[in-house]
Order: sequence, then structure tokens, then C-alpha cells
Amino acid sequence: MRISPDEVLKVARLAELAVAEADLPTLVRQFNDIVGYVAQLDALPPEGDITPFASGPAAVRWRPDVVGPEPLVLPPAALAPAFRNGFFVVPRLASMEPE
Amino acid sequence: MSLRALGADTAARLRAAESLNAVLHWSEAHLEHEAARLEAGPLGPLGGMPVAVKDNIVTLDLPTTCASRILEGYVSPYEATAIRRLRAAGGMVAAKTNLDEFAMGSSTEHSAFGRVHHPLDPALVPGGSSGGSGALVAAGVVPAALGSETGGSVRQPAAFCGVVGVKPSYGRVSRFGLVAFGSSLDCISVFGRTVSDAARVLSAISGEDPRDATTLAEPPMPVPEPRADLKGLTIGLPKEYFPPDLDPGVRAGMDRAIARIRDLGARTVEVSLPHSPYAVPTYYILAPAEASANLARYDGVRYGPPRPAGLPDVRALYQATRGHGFGPEVRRRILIGTYVLSAGYYEAYYGKAQRMRARIADDFSQVFATGIDLLFTPTTPTPAFRAGEKTEDPVQMYLADIFVCAVSLAGLPGMSLPIGRSGGLPIGGQLIAPYGADGPMLAAAAALERGLDPTEEVR
Repeated sequence: MRISPDEVLKVARLAELAVAEADLPTLVRQFNDIVGYVAQLDALPPEGDITPFASGPAAVRWRPDVVGPEPLVLPPAALAPAFRNGFFVVPRLASMEPE
Repeated sequence: MSLRALGADTAARLRAAESLNAVLHWSEAHLEHEAARLEAGPLGPLGGMPVAVKDNIVTLDLPTTCASRILEGYVSPYEATAIRRLRAAGGMVAAKTNLDEFAMGSSTEHSAFGRVHHPLDPALVPGGSSGGSGALVAAGVVPAALGSETGGSVRQPAAFCGVVGVKPSYGRVSRFGLVAFGSSLDCISVFGRTVSDAARVLSAISGEDPRDATTLAEPPMPVPEPRADLKGLTIGLPKEYFPPDLDPGVRAGMDRAIARIRDLGARTVEVSLPHSPYAVPTYYILAPAEASANLARYDGVRYGPPRPAGLPDVRALYQATRGHGFGPEVRRRILIGTYVLSAGYYEAYYGKAQRMRARIADDFSQVFATGIDLLFTPTTPTPAFRAGEKTEDPVQMYLADIFVCAVSLAGLPGMSLPIGRSGGLPIGGQLIAPYGADGPMLAAAAALERGLDPTEEVR
């Protein structure tokens, strides 16, 4: 299955990545090479039931639900141009229009 | 040598190695400050050892850029647990080292700040993604360095550069402060000039961390006692890692090392890991999928350079920041990750890869359950390759990791040990241990290290 330039551009929009027109042919070729290579897994027969695998310790531990000291060298208020009532004050960004 | 003299000596070595382009941040003032800090307190078990740090592990006093334009000039407001522990154990943070951007690559050619040169031949690559750390240890600038592994990024450059590279069990070292790439795979790992140097640094940075819930609930790993021989051990040789087209020099190096393993008293048996040949395609679905989520934060608002003026809306800001800030390999991986997670393709790619990961891990469990203590394989299919040879063909670049990916997917400890040279270039042999057996692996590696001259030509 070949992936078209339009499909690559659609994925780029989903990933919020601008793609320069000049870069598109190389990107489409490499994208197809990589997807074609990893697709060898799809050609394998179905495996039946397999327990999902997770690396490392068998059970991830919960930590106590308590507020500890900030691990930061500076308090949060020192990290932003403006900080008010426990919140970062940021400039308003343009609202996002639905597509 | 006093600590201040050691700092000055490290500065002189860093200056002499500038042509490698292995370092992104260092200064004489910083090294003087490190020496003064060490002099002021009780000297820990590392005794002032200068250790270079890959530039995707956050430090308070030096920038952390991940070799990306998108983080140029970024200084972290907190310090990685591994760095805190390294300093507390008497380690001297010597420099921040160059890498493939966001640790994505196998040659350290994908750095926004220029490629790293191999210490033995500047036309060659040092491997990657931790190529700066590997090259600095190989060039004798520092005795040890921190790198990070997601799919072999320390073992592979260690093999190319002719040094020791150790990837611990997933969870042995806290990932708090390691810039996230593939969170189910990422491990801070260690380069050393010798097995002993690497083991001492790994011991210092290991142990449970309340700030990383995936750390092993164990105290720091003790420095393992080196074995005098390999008597009583059974070492498996997985046949899938010795293909007919293996580079003849690598094969000759492995033959010599296997003979030495037998001389040292171990029994060797052929074993099979039938799903390991699928490790690279599995990895190149799972790691980009995780990267596409982890790198969403570099959007020009949370992280990234100041906003360019005149953008019409927030999506234009995101796309412009990310499109221009990331280099080509990072963009490719984000796109592949987004594609394999997208509706309609998820099961065909991500679901299949998750199940294959379980098969690959189960292969290792089954082999170790038969009484195999360690596995021994080549680390790489060839010695170091020429710069530019694989940059236009991502799949060929990915295949440089063919023998190291499966260990990462299974979360096991693995290490590369220099076992000889072919055509003047280092060859690495890889030891793989059961989960949690990092210490026994290092103890056995020390015996093998004593029995092999890493600079001897094998063919």
C-alpha cells in the first residue's frame, strides 16, 4: 500500500508539523520505506491470546498522596513572567477555529 | 592529583578533543566549581571521577538541549535524580555531550549542532544516539559517561568506539530528569573505559526513586565483585544473532571471544530467540508511537523558542514551531508514530507490535528458564560505518540496531564489551542477563575483559 503525499500531509497536520513543499517528495519516499518495512509484522499469522508485556517491576507502586516540597531549584513563581493567586499568567492566544 | 588539578586536567583533555564535536556544553569555570564542590564535602566512592553526561539528562548548571534547535539555550529548573546521585557519590560532572536529536538515531549525525566524529577515524560515525558520550570515553577524555538507551543507544556506540556500555534493567536507574522519548523503553545507561568504571558509576546512580514510579523497589545496586573465571556458568549463543551475512571481522571477533569464554570455564550452548528478528520493526512502531506523544509538549507554548510574530492562530504557532524546530529524523519519527496510532491503522501496526513485544520478551524468559545464565551475541552486525552512508536511507540506519533492540523491548540488562579489532576498528560483544541480574552480568564481564585484548586484530 503506497501512502500518498496528501496522506502524509494529513498525518503532518494531526502531528502539528509544518512540512515545506520542497521536503515533501523525500519525506513521502522515506515514509513509505519505513511503513513498508515495519508492515512485515502485519504479514505474520494471528498469534492468539497474548498477555500484554510491560517492562520493569511487575506492579507500578502508588506513592503517598501528599504534597511534598517542590523539586525545583526556584519556586514556580520565579519561572514565569507573571504569577497571580497560585496561577501562571500567560498572554491570551488566538482562539482555535474548528476545521 | 588534587581535585582542582583533576578539574584542570579534564578541561585540557576536553579542549584537546574539540575536533570530535562530542561536547555541547562545558566550561573551565564549571569544572573549577565542580572541583570546589567536591573539595568542600566528604568525597564519595567515585573519588572525584570526571563523568560526561548526555545532553538529554537535565542539569541545573549547564543547559540541556537534546541537540535540538527547539531547546537551544534551555536550562532546567530541576536536576535529574541520576545527576544528584552521581554528584553525591563524588562524581564530577565534566560536560554535556552531543547526541542524535532527542536521542533518535544510530550515528550521532542527526544532531542540530553537527555530527560527532569517531575518535579513531573522523570520517566514521561513533554510533548513536549517545555518540558524544561514547567518543569522549574512547578518546580518554573521561573514564565514564552517562548516556541513555531507548533501543541500544549506549551499547551500539560502545561497540563502535571500543568501550564498555551498560544498559541496566528497566527501572534500575531513575528516569526522573531524563527527557522522555519512549517511556516504556527509556533507560539511563553508562559508558566506561573498563567494566569496573561503568559498574561503579551504575551503582552510584541506581536505586529506588519516589519521583519515578517505574524504578525497582530495591536499594542501590552494590558494585559487583569481579569474577576470576566463568566456571559454573552456562552461556547461551542465540543462533538468530549469528546470521550467514554477519561481517567476517565481527564473526572472527566473536569466535575468539567464545573460545575465551570456554577457556574461562563456562559451558556454551546454542539457543534460539525466534522472534528477535522482528525486534527492529517492532521497535520502530512502538518507539515512534511513544515519541509522538512525548514530544507533543514542544509546541512553542510549553517548550520551544519564542513565538514568531504574525501567525494567525495557535495551530499555525504549533506547526511553525515544530516544523522548523525539529530536525528531519525527529519529524519522521513523529509522523510515523502519529500514523501508527491513527484511527484505522492502530491495530495493524501498534496492536501487532505490542503483541510481538510480548513474544520477544517471552523468548528470553523461556531461554533463561532452561538454566542459561547469560546470553552472548555480537553487539552490532558491522564495525563503525562511514558518515553519510546511511543518512538518506532511514531503514538501513535502523538496521544498525538489529542486535540491540530486542533487549530494550524486553527491559533486560545488556552490555557491550570490546572484544578485539577488525581492520583497526573496534568490535563489541554483547552480554544479556535475566531481569535484575545486572550485577552477575557485570561480574562475568570483568572476567572476560581480563581475558581479551580489546586492541588485538582478530583477522
